[in-house]
Amino acid sequence: MTESKSSDIFTFPKWTWILRPAVAVALVGGLVYVSVFVYLAFSPKATDVGYAPIQPVPYSHALHVGQLGLDCRYCHTGVEIAAHAAVPPTQTCMNCHAKVRGESEKLIPVRESFATGLPVPWIRIHDLPDYVYFDHSAHVRRGVGCVSCHGRVDTMEVVYQAEPLSMAWCLDCHRNPERHLRPVEFVTRLDWVPGEDQEVLGARLREEHDINPKETCYTCHR
Amino acid sequence: MKPEREMKYWRSLDELARTPEFVEAVAREFPTDEWDRLPPATRRQFLKVMGASLALAGLTSCRWPEEEIVPFARRPEGRTPGVPEQYATAMELGGSTLGLLVTSVDGRPIKNEGNPLHPDSLGALPATAQADLLQLYDPDRSRRLVERRGDQEFVRSWDDFAAWTAERFAGDGRGAAILAEPSSSPTMARLRRRFTETFPAARWVEYQPISRDAERDGLAFAYGRPLRAVPHLDRARVVACFDADPLFEHPASTRLARHFAESRQPSRERMSRLWVAEPAFSITGGRADHRAAVPASAVPAVLARVARELVAVHGLALPEAAVNLEAAFGAAAADGNGFVTELAADLAAHRGTSLILVGPGQAPEVHALAAVLNHGLGAVGSTLGYTEVTDPDRPSHVRAIAELAAAMTAGEVETLLVLGGNPVYDAPADLGFAELLVGVPHSAHLSLYDDETSRRCGWHLPRAHGLESWGDGRAWDGTLSFQQPLIQPLYDGRSALEVLATVVGDGDAGGHGLVRETALESFGAVDFDNAWKRALHDGVVAGTELPVVEPELDGSALARAGAGLGALVAAEPPSAVKPELVLIPDRKVHDGRWANNAWQQELPDAVTKVTWDNVLQVAPPTARELGFAEGDVVTVSARGASVELPVSIVPGQAAHTLTAALGYGRTAAGSVGNGVGGDAYRLRTSDSPWLVPEVAVTATGRSLAMATTQDHFAIDAMGFGARLDRIPILIREASLEHFLADPEVFHHMVHHPPLKSLWQDREYPGEQWGMAVDLNACTGCNACVVACQAENNVPVVGREGVVRQREMHWIRVDRYFKTEPGVGPMEVDQAEMVFQPMTCVQCENAPCEQVCPVAATQHTEDGINAMAYNRCVGTRYCSNNCPFKVRRFNFFNYHKNLSEVAKLQFNPEVTVRSRGVMEKCTYCIQRIQKVRIEARNGNRPIRDGEIVPACAQTCPARAITFGDLNDPTSEASKLREDKRAYATLAELNIRPRTQYLARLSNRVGEPAVPEGGHGAHHGGDDDHGKEAS
Repeated sequence: MTESKSSDIFTFPKWTWILRPAVAVALVGGLVYVSVFVYLAFSPKATDVGYAPIQPVPYSHALHVGQLGLDCRYCHTGVEIAAHAAVPPTQTCMNCHAKVRGESEKLIPVRESFATGLPVPWIRIHDLPDYVYFDHSAHVRRGVGCVSCHGRVDTMEVVYQAEPLSMAWCLDCHRNPERHLRPVEFVTRLDWVPGEDQEVLGARLREEHDINPKETCYTCHR
Repeated sequence: MKPEREMKYWRSLDELARTPEFVEAVAREFPTDEWDRLPPATRRQFLKVMGASLALAGLTSCRWPEEEIVPFARRPEGRTPGVPEQYATAMELGGSTLGLLVTSVDGRPIKNEGNPLHPDSLGALPATAQADLLQLYDPDRSRRLVERRGDQEFVRSWDDFAAWTAERFAGDGRGAAILAEPSSSPTMARLRRRFTETFPAARWVEYQPISRDAERDGLAFAYGRPLRAVPHLDRARVVACFDADPLFEHPASTRLARHFAESRQPSRERMSRLWVAEPAFSITGGRADHRAAVPASAVPAVLARVARELVAVHGLALPEAAVNLEAAFGAAAADGNGFVTELAADLAAHRGTSLILVGPGQAPEVHALAAVLNHGLGAVGSTLGYTEVTDPDRPSHVRAIAELAAAMTAGEVETLLVLGGNPVYDAPADLGFAELLVGVPHSAHLSLYDDETSRRCGWHLPRAHGLESWGDGRAWDGTLSFQQPLIQPLYDGRSALEVLATVVGDGDAGGHGLVRETALESFGAVDFDNAWKRALHDGVVAGTELPVVEPELDGSALARAGAGLGALVAAEPPSAVKPELVLIPDRKVHDGRWANNAWQQELPDAVTKVTWDNVLQVAPPTARELGFAEGDVVTVSARGASVELPVSIVPGQAAHTLTAALGYGRTAAGSVGNGVGGDAYRLRTSDSPWLVPEVAVTATGRSLAMATTQDHFAIDAMGFGARLDRIPILIREASLEHFLADPEVFHHMVHHPPLKSLWQDREYPGEQWGMAVDLNACTGCNACVVACQAENNVPVVGREGVVRQREMHWIRVDRYFKTEPGVGPMEVDQAEMVFQPMTCVQCENAPCEQVCPVAATQHTEDGINAMAYNRCVGTRYCSNNCPFKVRRFNFFNYHKNLSEVAKLQFNPEVTVRSRGVMEKCTYCIQRIQKVRIEARNGNRPIRDGEIVPACAQTCPARAITFGDLNDPTSEASKLREDKRAYATLAELNIRPRTQYLARLSNRVGEPAVPEGGHGAHHGGDDDHGKEAS
């Protein structure tokens, strides 16, 4: 078409015919892209659920907690008074292991650390971003059990991350704390089950202890 | 209504003159970004860069970095990981100690605060003492012992040095000398006694450039022996300062500022009056009720006139011993100066409750005259206490180093051990100390940095920082304090005590052993361990202040002062052809010791608001006479030496008097301090260390864009025309008499229609935080700015950054000048100065929250306007919409290139912000959260005063009060009910949660009710400036 009429400017030229299929492809493609993106972003791979790095000492929580019945607070002494639950010093291991299985090969890093004063380099599993300020004492003292965030550590031969620890996951509980409240004396009992409906118990505990978790940004971000 | 004296407020001469640059600067939230623009890129380049960044971004997001947890092998008893602990310690400056309470997290000291038990700290600290912490982590600190021979350097060990000292300090010590900094430490005194006993022929010299020796020598003139003067501003009703700056430039400035603030209670009986005569604005001058800008060389004459007036008119009977002085001040020309007559009358009317203070820059004879007047006015024993000095025999520092230089010239010094200080840089220029030191065959210098002096010595010894070493010392009133280390020396440094112990053969004792041994001598062996633990825990030993003495005037000594005083009183005032130069210790880097401290360098000077430079302060009329404009680089020369400095035109400066701060122009300070400013020490001579008469000033033809913050973040209340009229509603002031007659005066300064909000009011069932800032207490000392910087990981942006208006301080201290209306910018000769600390006021109807597209700044349930940094995308809309201009934007990742050791200073409780993120004050949200969680854990309410933001914690004058506004009994609530409380820009209906308490002046003879009372322009729908929120 070499000649053009004045009405031509209101007519789509021929080459635009390709737009229709292109838009269709873009729509479908975009939908697939968004779904895949969302799926991947919330997949355990992205949130690190199941992350179970190999530790320098093959410490078994299943043995110490599950079978021997150690309380969480025997080692994680800060959990009720501070933001950090704290990984115990080598001294804590040696309280028992100076006598128990003193020759075990698996304990070589522990004995070395105790002899040299250098730390055992544990690998962090539950790793929040640096701009998140989580406080263990604020949760444990209100009756949120260890199991709510850390899972059944007492059955873990190798500790792994049980929950996504994402912001949406945090907010779930901050909006509906009833599902995770228990009497304070049972917070470290990982296998504890309520004798009544959890929602009813939770609502009662929430009322009793005046628990109103905040959702404002500054609760966790400063 | 009309204020009692019609005055105009403005921040800079540019503002007063309404230069186009100023108009432009106020109109824009951010200055132009031309300097940031990249060269235009082609499409191909753009795709390349973006493609690469996307690919890299994809790679890095594959997995979070693996982190290690490294617990103690043996955890110290009582330590909980991540829980901050505080330890009491002390720092020495200028022969007097300040008590510190240092916060340590997991073994890293992160913040210096004042020790509440220490008499000179009272829980607060000046900016310098807080910033000293940064020096601990300075990557430029020296890390090894070096021996220099010619051009060669050898790394040595402390054992090598011990061998050197054994060889050099032998026999009776002939030819050996130690040059030390003055110290109040009893352990240092004990070691020094051992040194002089062991080496009777050796020299012991004490020097530091900034001292109060003039006062000491002046008191020796008056009383026949050196004494220490301890002022009590809380007991004084009338304080007259002659070139003195007790609220800032004094070892006990924190206590003095606190007591001064307490003496400004708004009642006729309890409000003091402050008179200041000084050559350049000081912090104290800014608070003066009556101030006269007087050349430094004319200050003695002003004091002499006051003396004459007191004796001749008010019949003040001077003690007989002072008779010889009368001739000197009697000759002072009587003029009709209202300042002198009114001051003399005021002093005479307040006998026993008045106090005359003279600054360290004035000659001893002037101090002697002031001492005589204080004696005659009954100040001694009331507003002024005297104690004996612990070192009565030492000569003045300047004389001491001059004698040492003479001995060095004569070749009598073969070995010189310099314990701290930096004499090559700061010794009087006429001594030629640098060349003399090179001529000393054996020399060693102990120093934090391999600095100017170290480079000219045979040995450089790395010094342990104060937070790394043991020590002891005395406060200004003599109270014994102890210094304990918070951390092992990072670079194997040693303290001056330990090095001196090596010299006297006690090198194995260690700092702890040395200090403990001294304590054992003074505490006694009975129950020593408990007393020692108690002393370390408290940081001070109560009741150890030196006894107050009541000395008698010494006529013969005073007779000697008379002649000198006569000459000083008769001194010719400076003129445009013979201007005088006044040297002052810098308000930030002091004598130069904090030159490599980025916090101090970037702190805007209290008066000039200049950062990263020292300037030549010139009065506007003098600048006009000399033909200088702001920023002109000029050469100041005297006696063959010269220094180049940029001109800063400062109102309130005395005519023909130039002022320059010492401590700049360092050549071996480190990467921060090298080459910043000009070295005014070059003009300093041993016969007149503070005043350089008859200097020549010539233009270089160059001009410098100074990094000044004085026009930055100016609040544009309502267009430019109304601007100057509007400042008085930001800073409200009235005279005491006016306030007493009309307590509502401050609420009638603004009238606006009733305020209706577009939004539904929030309810605050729990706490509702708020703050009150008392402008009547604030001295503008900048302590809060540094406290905030340390607490909140506020970055330093550097000189270029400040020039581009990118400084990050969350608090800025607005400094306004005030003059009579109609005075042109270059005619200003007398001005007043007002300070207003300004930070986020946490508006209830916050304009910033309403424009954030991603809700990164949000209102919390306790009324704080909080920031979620990780949510911010950097649109900067909030900052544009902020009427107070208190939001700060990270144009770069300022923390990126910090060395690992510098990162140790960070407060782990506060996010370190990255590039592209807006930040601002959040009332120290981390401190609120800490207390809230603790209180909740303990099932108790939060107590009033339990939460203290960093700025309020460190305010020497206690001008800042924080608390729960929902609790009517809290201090903050009560202060907001005060008649002086007002909300800034209340007419915008933003309902700020920080309110200010208006400033009061207490001038002589001010009318109770000024002309034109309130009510004239009340409309029917009118509302007042004060509103509740």
